[in-house]
Amino acid sequence: MAHYKILGKDPYWMNFYGLMLLTLIEVAAVGLDLSDFAASYDTTEKVVTLWILTIIAIPKFIMIAAIFMHLYGDADSKILTLTALFPAFFIIIMVLFIGLTHPDATTGLPDWCRPGTYGL
Amino acid sequence: MSDHDDHHAPQPWGPHDWHHGAPHNSFSPLFLSMGVAISLFGLAAAWDYGTYNPGHIPTILLGLLVVGFSMFIWWRQDISFDGHYDPISTGTPFRGIQVRKVATWVFLMSEMMVFTSLFSTYMRYRLGIENCGTVFERGMFDPVTNPTGWQEGVAVTCFEPASHLIASSWWHLAPGAVNTFALILSSFTVVQALRYAKMPDLDEEARRKKVYRYLASTWCLAVLFLTLKMVEWFVGFYVPEISFIGLHEHDIVSLVDEGYTINADHYQHHSYIDEATGAHMVANIQVSASLFYVTTGTHGAHVAGGIIGLTYMTFKAWKGLYTPANAVSIEYFGLYWHFVDLIWVLVFPFFYLY
Repeated sequence: MAHYKILGKDPYWMNFYGLMLLTLIEVAAVGLDLSDFAASYDTTEKVVTLWILTIIAIPKFIMIAAIFMHLYGDADSKILTLTALFPAFFIIIMVLFIGLTHPDATTGLPDWCRPGTYGL
Repeated sequence: MSDHDDHHAPQPWGPHDWHHGAPHNSFSPLFLSMGVAISLFGLAAAWDYGTYNPGHIPTILLGLLVVGFSMFIWWRQDISFDGHYDPISTGTPFRGIQVRKVATWVFLMSEMMVFTSLFSTYMRYRLGIENCGTVFERGMFDPVTNPTGWQEGVAVTCFEPASHLIASSWWHLAPGAVNTFALILSSFTVVQALRYAKMPDLDEEARRKKVYRYLASTWCLAVLFLTLKMVEWFVGFYVPEISFIGLHEHDIVSLVDEGYTINADHYQHHSYIDEATGAHMVANIQVSASLFYVTTGTHGAHVAGGIIGLTYMTFKAWKGLYTPANAVSIEYFGLYWHFVDLIWVLVFPFFYLY
């Protein structure tokens, strides 16, 4: 259980309020017309929305893990945080090498690195 | 409790006397895994290369029966658990931490890998296949002026995110948005249940009521989540006329009724109509729809699994069997439930909003 306060208040209630607020901003970011704002940065509204959603998802993720899942403030928080971060290496590999490769990679790659060819 | 009595023979079918240590001779986990194996074998045999073979349905049912039986036995053994036996890790690096807590975290990290594979697949196809909206904006095919345009009646393979339908209006977005708030609220109620279960100076009846009510609230929110998911996927809903706020009577059609299905090879969104000619662009959206249903469905299956656990825990709380000594069970379940919330934090913006 949490043995600390956030701004002098109960951490679970504060976390709950914070998550609700961030979710409201998320929904508003999709519903509101951001085209003028996007144009001022020479980009599209969809790109601005994606940035807002990504930036908000990060603190939400951390708030749930740190406060609700007790990865902050408990005696065993440090080692459990390291345990939680252990698969990060594999996740980065998956996201970078699978998520960001092109679906045509197997046919679009040069001959020497396609399956069955091996440069021979 | 460390005074393990080697001469004591705990009942393998429970209820169990926990003062003599954990029932290491429980048959339940073994039978449970056998039941899962039997039902999965039946499922695999029932659909052989797309051919449906109903003769294997009894095998599936037998497997589910064994699973149910094992869970019943497990429940009988655990219902007597008073929390005095919680093995503590003795080796580095988890020395002094409850073994079950570490195991829960390791389990959650394996779950994280499952969802990462789904997210990376989503990223791959979202970035790699041209968006249907972009294809439509290129305009209709013309051999001279627009050779890369789309043709009426010829399905274009492109990526059509579900958000194109879901985020098209506040009403379409409502089930997903309500679900987001419901999951955050349920994360809060489960942590409140843990708080009151662990509170040492609380009257027994007051503890029973608090823990039971917070767990029951979590159960209700989880059921609401799955109900709204079904509404969004299959049912749709009716919006009544409320004239003083300018709301007109209309129906919100479900995703399936909109044609957004995993086998949609001639999908047509309302906006994919050429204004000049009235021609419709049709699209093969099987990849994008499959990704949406598999990812959100896998998350939904985790919520359904949580409901099973919550049903048992709510019953246990109603019986007043949670005390500060055994409240860790709520903590371990809470870790799983917060993880389900954590995944939704990523699923909602990237599958529903973007």
